[in-house]
Parts: sequence; C-alpha cells; structure tokens
Amino acid sequence: MIEHYLFLSVILFCLGILGVISRRNVFIVFMAIELMLNAANLGFVALARLHVSMDGHVLAMLVMAVAAAEAALALAVVILLHKHKGKLDTNIFSLLRG
Amino acid sequence: MEQTTYLGFIPLLPLAGALVLGVMHVATCQGNRIAEKLYGILGCIGPVLSFILALKLFFSLKGLPAPDRFLTHEPFTWFSVGDLTVPMGFLADPLSSLMLLFVTFVGSLIHVYSIGYMAGDKNFGKFFAYLNLFLGSMLILVLGNSPLVMFVGWEGVGLCSYLLISFYSEERENVVAGNKAFIVNRIGDLGFVLGMAFLFWGIGADGFDYLSLKANAHNLTPALGITVCLLLFVGATGKSAQIPLYVWLPDAMAGPTPVSALIHAATMVTAGVYMVARFSFLYIEVPVAGTVVAWIGILTALLAAVFGMFQNDIKKILAYSTVSQLGYMFAGVGVAAYSAGIFHVFTHAFFKALLFLGAGSVILALHHQQNIWKMGGLKKKLPITYGTVLVGSLALAGCPPFAGFFSKDEILFSALATGHTGIWFIGVIVAGMTAYYTFRMFFVVFHGTPRDRHSYDHAQESPRVMTIPLIVLAIGAGFAGFLNFPAIFGGHQQVSHWLAPSLAEHHPDAGLGVEFLAIGGSVLAFVIGISIAYRKFFGGAEEPVYRGFCKFAANKFYVDELYATIIVRPYRFIGKAIRQMIEPYITDAPAQGVPWLYRMTGWVFKVVQVGYVRVYAIYMVIGLSIMSLLISQSLNL
Repeated sequence: MIEHYLFLSVILFCLGILGVISRRNVFIVFMAIELMLNAANLGFVALARLHVSMDGHVLAMLVMAVAAAEAALALAVVILLHKHKGKLDTNIFSLLRG
Repeated sequence: MEQTTYLGFIPLLPLAGALVLGVMHVATCQGNRIAEKLYGILGCIGPVLSFILALKLFFSLKGLPAPDRFLTHEPFTWFSVGDLTVPMGFLADPLSSLMLLFVTFVGSLIHVYSIGYMAGDKNFGKFFAYLNLFLGSMLILVLGNSPLVMFVGWEGVGLCSYLLISFYSEERENVVAGNKAFIVNRIGDLGFVLGMAFLFWGIGADGFDYLSLKANAHNLTPALGITVCLLLFVGATGKSAQIPLYVWLPDAMAGPTPVSALIHAATMVTAGVYMVARFSFLYIEVPVAGTVVAWIGILTALLAAVFGMFQNDIKKILAYSTVSQLGYMFAGVGVAAYSAGIFHVFTHAFFKALLFLGAGSVILALHHQQNIWKMGGLKKKLPITYGTVLVGSLALAGCPPFAGFFSKDEILFSALATGHTGIWFIGVIVAGMTAYYTFRMFFVVFHGTPRDRHSYDHAQESPRVMTIPLIVLAIGAGFAGFLNFPAIFGGHQQVSHWLAPSLAEHHPDAGLGVEFLAIGGSVLAFVIGISIAYRKFFGGAEEPVYRGFCKFAANKFYVDELYATIIVRPYRFIGKAIRQMIEPYITDAPAQGVPWLYRMTGWVFKVVQVGYVRVYAIYMVIGLSIMSLLISQSLNL
C-alpha cells in the first residue's frame, strides 16, 4: 500500500518542479513550490504511518508552519516585485545575467 | 651575581620618554596643543635619569677590581636559530661606561638646550620624541653585549638621524639630505652585516657576545680576520663619515642645530670609533687592517680640513671639522692606540657639542642666518656665547691646556711612537689647518665690524636655558683633558688606565724625545694656524672670491658631483631600464597572467548565467538528481 502514497508524492513533487521550471508567472511558480512542500508532507505522513512513529507527523507539522511563514513572506516579496516593475513575469527579473 | 637590572633601564628610560612624547604629540598635534614646558620637562627626564644610572654604574664598576670590571644583564632571549642564540643582553665594562657617561651627560644638556632653541616650533613634541628615541638607540648601541644587539642600536640611531635631518620637512632639500644620509649609511651597514656574518662563520659557534668572541679571537684565520676587520670598518666609514662615505655628514646639517650637536658631532658619528675599539681584540691581531683604518682616517682628516677652510656656512665648517676630527680618532684606533682614540671621542663630544650649540645660539640670534660673511662683531652682543665658543674653539684647535690638545696629542704621539711617521706628519699639518679654519670662523663671526647691520642690531643673547648648557659644556671642554693628563707632565692617565681592561692595547714605549717632538709639533702647528687666521680675519675681512684651487676646494673637489655621475646616474638608469623593460614583461608576467586566466574562465562560464530564476531551478534539479543517484548507489539500494 505504501507504494501508492509514495508514487502520488513523487508525482506531485515532479508536477511542482515542472511548474517552477516552465511557468513564468510568479504566482504560479509560488503555488508550484507549495505543491512540492505538500508532496514532501505526504511522504512524511505515509512513512510515519508505516513505521508507527510520530517523527514524520511532527516533521509534517513543521513543514506546514514553514510553508505558512514562507507564504506570508513570499506574498510580500511578490507585491514589492509588482510595485517595482508592474508585471509578474519572472523573465523580467534577470539582473543576474552574466 | 650582582643585581644589575638597572642596566636595562638606561636605554629604556629615554625610549619610554620617546613613546610617551610621541603619543602625546600624535594625540594633540591637531588643535589643543600641550604646553611646550611639559614636553620639555618630560623630554629631559629620561636622559637625566639615564645619566644618574650611568653614574651609579660607573661607581659600582669602580668598586670592583680592575680585571673583573664588567657587569651583564640579559633580560630575555631575543631569538634562537640553530647554533645561534642571541640574548637581548647588556654589557657594562669600562669602555661602555665611559661612553655612557658622556653620551647621557652631553645628551641631557642638549635636551635642555633644545627647550630654548626649538621654542615656538610647531613640531616641538615630535622633536623631543625623536631626540629621546635617538638617545635610547644610542644607549643600546653602547650597552649591547653582542654585535647583533649593537646593530639594533646602530640602525636605530641611523633611523633617528634620518628623521631629524629631514625634520623641517617642508623644504625639499632637507628631505633629500635625510635620504642621502640614510642611503649612504645603508652602504656602510651592508659592510657591517657582512662583517658580522663572517665573524659568526669564523668563531661564532661558542657564543656571539663580546666576551666569548674575545676569548676565541685567536682561532680566527688571518684571511678571515682581515676580511672581518675591513668589512666592519666599511660599516664604520658609513656611520662615522670617513672616506669614501663621508659625503652625507655635511648635508646632514640641514637638521636643527641641537641635532647636529647631539647626533652629528657628539654621539652617533663616533659609533664607528667605538665599534673599532670594541673589536680591538680583532684589530690587534691584524695590524694590516689597523694600518688601513689609520690611513683612511688621517686622509679623511686632511681632506675634510681642506674643505673646512673654504666653507662659508658656519654649520658646514663645523661639520667638516667633525669629519676631520673623526679622522683623527680613526687614525688613533688604527695605530692601536684605542684609549687615545676613545679619549678623543670623549673630549670631542664636549667641545664639538659646545661649538654647535654656540653656533646655534648665534644662528638663533641672527634669525637663522648661517653665512659667516653676514655676521661679524657679535662679541659685544652675545658675550656668553662668545666666551664659551672661544673655549670650544681653543679646544678644537688644540691649544694647550684645553681638552682637544691632550687627546689629539695623544693620538699623534701614538702614531709617531708606533712608527707611522707619515700619519703623524699629516696629522700635524691637519692640526695647523684645524686651528686656521676654527679661528677663521671665530674671528669672522665675533670680531671685526658687523657686516649686516640690520640683523646685528636685532641680535640678543639667548635665554638662560640655552646659555647654561653652553657654560657647563665649556667647563667640560676646558678641563676634560686633565682626566688623561700625560705621564710626561706628572699625570696619571686615568682614562687610559680606566679603559685598559676593555681594550687589547699595549702602550708603545717611546723616549722623552718622541714625546716632546709630538707635543712640539702640535703646538707649533696650532700657533702657525691661529696666527695666519689672526692676520687675515681678525681686523675684519670681506667675503673672498675663490679662484683656482680654492674654488675647487670650496666646491669640495666636486666629489658629490663625481658620485652623482659615476654611481647615482648609472644606478638610476639601470633602475629606469628595469622598470620599463624587465618589470612589465618578465617579472610581472606571472602576476598579470593570473587575472587574465580568471577573466578567461569567467568568460567561458558566464554562458550558463542566464539570469532567469527558472533556469537556476533546472540546474538545482539536475544537481539534486545527480546527488540522489550517487547517494542511492553508494547505499547499494
């Protein structure tokens, strides 16, 4: 049974990566990151159930807290970015180009 | 072992003074200035306390039986490399205690005098800091128990000399003079260092302090001995301004007059003589080296006396007379009459410091006029300066019974008694020339009619803080000679006897005839010299126009120009060639290649830096994937 959960987790994670890589809207990228975090959470919880241990649950709770904090911070960053350039296309923000 | 910790305090006190004064000056040079009086008092404390300690040292040495008259103090090990362990050690023996006494005594007086001379200078504090630093270094030089410790002081006094020559650093030529002194001294120092290295190579294995070296001196092979002696003497020619490295000393007069008195007349320039006397146990084994030293010395004395006769600047005259007297000292130590040489160092410190300080008093009274042809008739205006300079001039000229007579006569007598007739003969001629140029200066400055009415009218005697040191030094210049009163007049030669345990010296036995010949020659030369000067200059003379040989001598035989042509210019040319050809293309190539390499590497890798966040995410995924693969493989899953 555990394989199904883990497969789902991996599929969700890969979808998240794909989202981060392929989408150019900052909001979508952000959502994809959240998706990856939740994929990891699913893996934690599933394995915690398998091993009958609370460690995975604790870690999942922590990840959620981090995700919430990250959301608060990231949304503020997104607002600033929007104020700065007026658009939310990630390709505009390329100051690091060599 | 007697407690001799206070030995370390002798150099430490002026050094501490230098630190305190230096910090005070740096902290307050902008804005709120500290009163000069405070600086002056602080500056004088160190030297005076050192003098008191030197006296204590002298008397504790005197209390010991003659062969045991040495005290040592080793506060810590300076460094230790292989066979060589060098303690920071101090050695007090009769020689260094005598040097200590007059260095601290004359040094203290000059510090006091400087309070008056430097009054109103905006770098008053800095001056005293440097002066204290100088005195501390000089005391390390004198007290050091090994050539290496001596070298510390040797370099320290060189540095202070440089700093103080270019003290009025607003004017370019002063800075150039400082540089010249420093660079010429470096040439000499190279000889000194090489000499020390050879000495260590030869006999340094069993300890490198003077006492061990002295005990092992007979193990030195003759070839090595002569090399060491001559190389050490090269160091001495630099520091003590002998041929061929004397050119820096006349230029060093660019510094303030107390500096000329302390460093370039009384103490530092005699370090070379002290060093030769210190190594007397080496020089006595190699008479050839001694002869070289003596001849270089006496020729320097002659050359400087010739130059001195045609100078117009009061300080330049005194500078050349210093070079000339240093030549006498080397002639003395060269003919193995070490105590005579050191005794001349001792008396010279008094009368030359006195003459320089007197000249400083004149210069200050005339608002920094140094040309003697702008002076004249100052006898009435500056009575104390007149009287004291008269004593100094008589001592310098070698008039019996002033100090210079006894010490100079002792040297000339030793030269004659050891069979160096040529040296004696030149020495007598130089004595006559000395009397001539000394009294030429004296008569032109103090007698006759004023040549510059305006500055004459405004001249006034210096304050007491300056005249009292003059008077004290005049007493020294007058009577110091009696300390070594020759046996022929029923004296006991206390100084020679005092120095005997430190010096490897045997006194030549010579008949009364030789002694009278030496004295007669000196006195005759003095009388002839002074009478020519009297006839030409006493009634007042105008500035002569030099022609022919005189012009040649007044221009110092164009030695400076010669050095500039054959050494300085080619050197500069080589330097320029290296800077323009070799440096950019050969030596700098590796250094410039490294940034080039980085630039190229960066140029290649900049392709991947596209600046889009998405692309960096791809890199991250790729990297993480590879890492996961590697980890899973290593875990054998």
